[in-house]
Amino acid sequence: MARFVLSRALKAVLTVWIAITSTFFLLRLLPGDPTTLMVEGDMTPEMQAALLKTYGLDRPLWEQYVSYLRELVQGNLGISFRQIQPVVDIIVDRLPWTLLLAGTAFVVTVAVGIPIGVAAAVNRGRWLDRALQALGIGGHALFVPSVAMLLLVFLGARLGWFPIGGAIDPDTRGAAAYLSLAHHLVLPVLSLVLVQLGPYALTLRTNMIEVLGEDYIRAAQARGLSARRRVWKHGLRNAILPALTLMGLQLGTLVGGAVLTETVFAYPGVGRLIFEAVGQQDYPVLQGAFIMLAVTVVFANALTDMFYAVLNPRIRL
Amino acid sequence: MSAPVLTEQAVPPVAPAVARRSWFAYLRQPSAALSVLVLVVMVALALLAPVIADEPAGAGPDVLQPPSGAHWFGTDDLGQDIFAQVVWGTRTSLVIGLAASLIAIVLGTAIGLASAYFRPIDAVATVVTDVMLALPTLPLMIMLAAVVNPSLWTLTLIIGFFAWPEVARLIRSQGLVISAMPYIDGARVLGASGWRIVTREILPAVVSLVIVSVLLTASRAVISEAGLSFLGLGDPDAWSWGRILLNAQRSGVVAIAWWQTLFPSVAILLLVLAATVAGMRFNDTRDPRRNGA
Repeated sequence: MARFVLSRALKAVLTVWIAITSTFFLLRLLPGDPTTLMVEGDMTPEMQAALLKTYGLDRPLWEQYVSYLRELVQGNLGISFRQIQPVVDIIVDRLPWTLLLAGTAFVVTVAVGIPIGVAAAVNRGRWLDRALQALGIGGHALFVPSVAMLLLVFLGARLGWFPIGGAIDPDTRGAAAYLSLAHHLVLPVLSLVLVQLGPYALTLRTNMIEVLGEDYIRAAQARGLSARRRVWKHGLRNAILPALTLMGLQLGTLVGGAVLTETVFAYPGVGRLIFEAVGQQDYPVLQGAFIMLAVTVVFANALTDMFYAVLNPRIRL
Repeated sequence: MSAPVLTEQAVPPVAPAVARRSWFAYLRQPSAALSVLVLVVMVALALLAPVIADEPAGAGPDVLQPPSGAHWFGTDDLGQDIFAQVVWGTRTSLVIGLAASLIAIVLGTAIGLASAYFRPIDAVATVVTDVMLALPTLPLMIMLAAVVNPSLWTLTLIIGFFAWPEVARLIRSQGLVISAMPYIDGARVLGASGWRIVTREILPAVVSLVIVSVLLTASRAVISEAGLSFLGLGDPDAWSWGRILLNAQRSGVVAIAWWQTLFPSVAILLLVLAATVAGMRFNDTRDPRRNGA
C-alpha cells in the first residue's frame, strides 16, 4: 500500500511540474507576454527597465524559470499587479470557499446519483430509466452560467427563496451563521449538481447493468441472496468503482464549473477571484489561481485513486 | 459534468455499401433527423444573419422591453434587440465550435494514431494526454486567453489546443484494436512502411469515429467559447451567446430582464444538444451490433 501511495503521489507531483513548466514557457513565448503587458505606454525607457528589473523580467528565460520554480517551492506565487499583496495570500483567503462549493457539489452528486443510477439499472426500460437517459445526454448540453443565472432569476430574485449572491450574511453569529452559510450555498451547489447529476447517474446505471449480468451476481442469486442484497451489496460495490474513477477524472470540469458559478453568484471563492483578475488584467493572480487549482485537482484525483485501491476487492495492497 | 458520451469500444470497419445504407438508416431515426434539422437551421441563421437582423450596435430607445412583436426576444438595458444578438452570436459559436473542433481532431487523430502504432511515441503521448486530462482546463484557458489579445482566432486556437486529448484517447484505443488485427500484420509482412500502414490501413478504419468526434468536440468547444466569453475573454468585436449572458450579469438587471438570460441559454442548449445527439446517433449507426448489418 505504501508503495502504491508513494508512486501515485509522485505521479501527481510530476503532473503538476509539467503543467507549471509548460505554462511558464507558453506564457512567455506568447505574442503578448507579461513583459509588454506590464509596461504601460507612457513610461520612459529607464522606468520600463527599472520595472522589469524589479520583477526579474530582464534576465534570461532559463534563469527566470529556475528562480520562479525555487520561489514556487517555497510557496511564493509572486505579487499581484493590482492589489500590492502576495498572490498566495489572496488565493489562500479564497480557496476554502471554492473547496466548500465544489466539495458539497461532489458529495451531493454522488449521494443522489448512486440511488438514481441503481434504480434505473434495476428498472431497466421503465420511465425512470428513460428519464435518466435523456438527462444524461442533456447534462452535456447544459451551460453552467445559464443554469446558475436562471436559478438566480427565478428561485432567487422572483420567488425570493434564496439569497442571490455572496456566501454568508456578515451580521449573523453562531448557529445563525451556519444556517446563513448553508442558505447561500444552495443555489450555487444546485447549479453544479444539475449539470453533473445526469451524466454521472447514467454512467453508474451503465456500469450497474453490466455488473448485474456477471456470473458472481447470478451465483449470489443461486445462493439465495435477496435481490436487495445482490444489488446494493455485491452489485453496487463493483459498479461504483469505475464511476469513482470517472468522478476523479472530472474534478477539473467541476472546478471549471465552480469558476463560472461563483462568477454568477458573486461567491467569494477562487473562481470569482479569477473573474475579477480577468477584468483587472492581473496576470500573476490568474497564473497563481491556475496553479493552486491544478494542485488541488491533481491531488484530489490521486486521493480518489487511492480510495479506489482500498475499495477494489481485486487490488490487495 | 461531462462524462464520456462514447464508450471506448472496438467496432470493426464498415464497408462502403453498408455505409450508404446506414446514412439512410441514420436519418430515419427521429432524434437524429431532428438534431440534423436543428444544426441546419443554426447554420442557416449564421449564414443569413445580416439578412435576418441588423448587427446590434449603439443604444436604442426601447430599453429593457420584454419579448413582443417588435422585439421577439426583448431588449437589453441599452435598448439593443436580443433576437439580433442571439442570431449574430450563432456565427461566433458555430465558427469557433467548428474551427476549434477541426484543430482538436487533426491533432488528436494524428497523436492517437501515432501512439496506437508506434510504441515509443505512445509512451510520451500517453503521459502528455494524461497530464492534460488531469488539469482544470477552464482556468488554464482563461490564463492564456487573458494574456493574448482576444479575437476569434486566438480563442479558436486556445480552445482547439486544449480539446485534443479526449480525441487522442478515443482514437488511440480504437487504433490499438485495429493495429492488433491480422491484416495489419499482413501489410507489414508485405513491406508496407509505418506511415503507409497508419494512413492507409488504420486511418480508414477509424474514420467514422473521427466524424463522431468532430460533432462531440464541436459541442464541447461551443461550451468553452461561451464560458470564456461569459468571463469577459471573448472577441470584443463579435457577438457571442456568452457575451449576452455577461452583459445581463454586468448590467445588474438579471432579476428583471429574464429574457436576456433565457434566450441565449436556450440557443446554447439547442446547439450543443443537437450536435451531441447527432454524434451519438451516428455512433450507434456505425455499430453493426445495433443495426444488425
